[in-house]
Amino acid sequence: MATDFRTQLVSELPHLRRFARALCGDASLADDLVQDCVERALIKSHLYDPTKPLRAWAYTVLRNIHVSNWRRGSKFSNAKNIDDLEGLEGSVQPEQESNLSISIITQALDKLPAQQREVLVLISLEELSYREASEIIGVPIGTIMSRLSRARATLQNILEERGTTVLRRVK
Amino acid sequence: MIMLETIENWALHAFADGELDVEDSKAIERLLAENAEARKALATINYQKAELHKAYDDVLNEVVPAHLMAAAQARSPRRMVPYLAMAASVAFLLIGGALGWFAAHTGNAVQIADLASRALVAHETYSVEVRHPVEVAASEQDHLQAWLSKRVGSEFKIPDLQKDGYTLLGGRLLAENDAPAGQLMYETADKQRMTIYFSANEAGNVTGMKLEQKDKLITCYWRDAKLALAVTADMPREAMVVLGSSIFAQIEGRHGTYER
Repeated sequence: MATDFRTQLVSELPHLRRFARALCGDASLADDLVQDCVERALIKSHLYDPTKPLRAWAYTVLRNIHVSNWRRGSKFSNAKNIDDLEGLEGSVQPEQESNLSISIITQALDKLPAQQREVLVLISLEELSYREASEIIGVPIGTIMSRLSRARATLQNILEERGTTVLRRVK
Repeated sequence: MIMLETIENWALHAFADGELDVEDSKAIERLLAENAEARKALATINYQKAELHKAYDDVLNEVVPAHLMAAAQARSPRRMVPYLAMAASVAFLLIGGALGWFAAHTGNAVQIADLASRALVAHETYSVEVRHPVEVAASEQDHLQAWLSKRVGSEFKIPDLQKDGYTLLGGRLLAENDAPAGQLMYETADKQRMTIYFSANEAGNVTGMKLEQKDKLITCYWRDAKLALAVTADMPREAMVVLGSSIFAQIEGRHGTYER
């Protein structure tokens, strides 16, 4: 059984890496996060219920590590507090020197408040259900839905602003 | 953005995310047919999804770095939890000492090792059972507790080990030479079994916890004023030090120490 768990965990690595990359933006920080996640998952493997998908369980482990990294305020540059539920939508950070080769969407994602970002990533990218997202984050489905709609609106505002900026520069 | 954030339009998000049943989906399709704002909002949601996939899906096709593969396949995690590491090093010291002690006190050691070996044999015999691992299932826990307490001859409360990751399967009565013994069987979510063996402590000699190993099995055993107990499972010593201490604390109502 234990071997089986490791085999399954290995097969989830690509998805864990994508989830981590979209959560924290930076490729090497993301892989550090995946490594921490895998180590913790092995230690806690006896708590995993094999009747449920391993991916969602591993996402929970990864997300919890990410949040505690946030709380420590460590090594994350776009340091918006994940506990700030409201009010950050309008406060788009001052524009950094834009590198057009970096995907516009990843830059826009960096400007989302962390709580909106994680919900958006779980649902729009990882395509989990609202229920799975609510179990991973530990909030009711209603909260997931309101954060999701806010995240999508915020992201669109950022994208539209960024779009016009890019156009101006290109001209 | 007009449609995205209004609460009435939660259904549009749910529709885009495949959360609606057939009937509600039809209602949204009717809304989309007649409402340009709704169509625009849905297009925005889907555009964002497509952009996210474009930006991040390449990761799925990258070769996973070797150090991550190694971490996921590791027999034991690279970094031990601090308390586990500490407990493990203490245990290694004590086990070394215990072996010497046994050699020097053969008389008493035989008696104590007897408890460990009975528990190990009982574990080996029943933990591999697929159809009949227990005689009385956990669904009859109250009855099991009363029955085993009565037959073993001492009040015994079945420990709740959920927080340690173990669910009770049930238990059985064991026939021993001198007096009946009880065995409780627990299981982790990934079906790793652990048993608790207990019998009346006729000799009445109270001991701390000790460890004994037989092949891959390890048992942590001790005697209190009334019972002789042994926790047995297939796990590393350091893990048994932690689990054994947790069970000892619950049964004895105090923290135990490992003895030499």
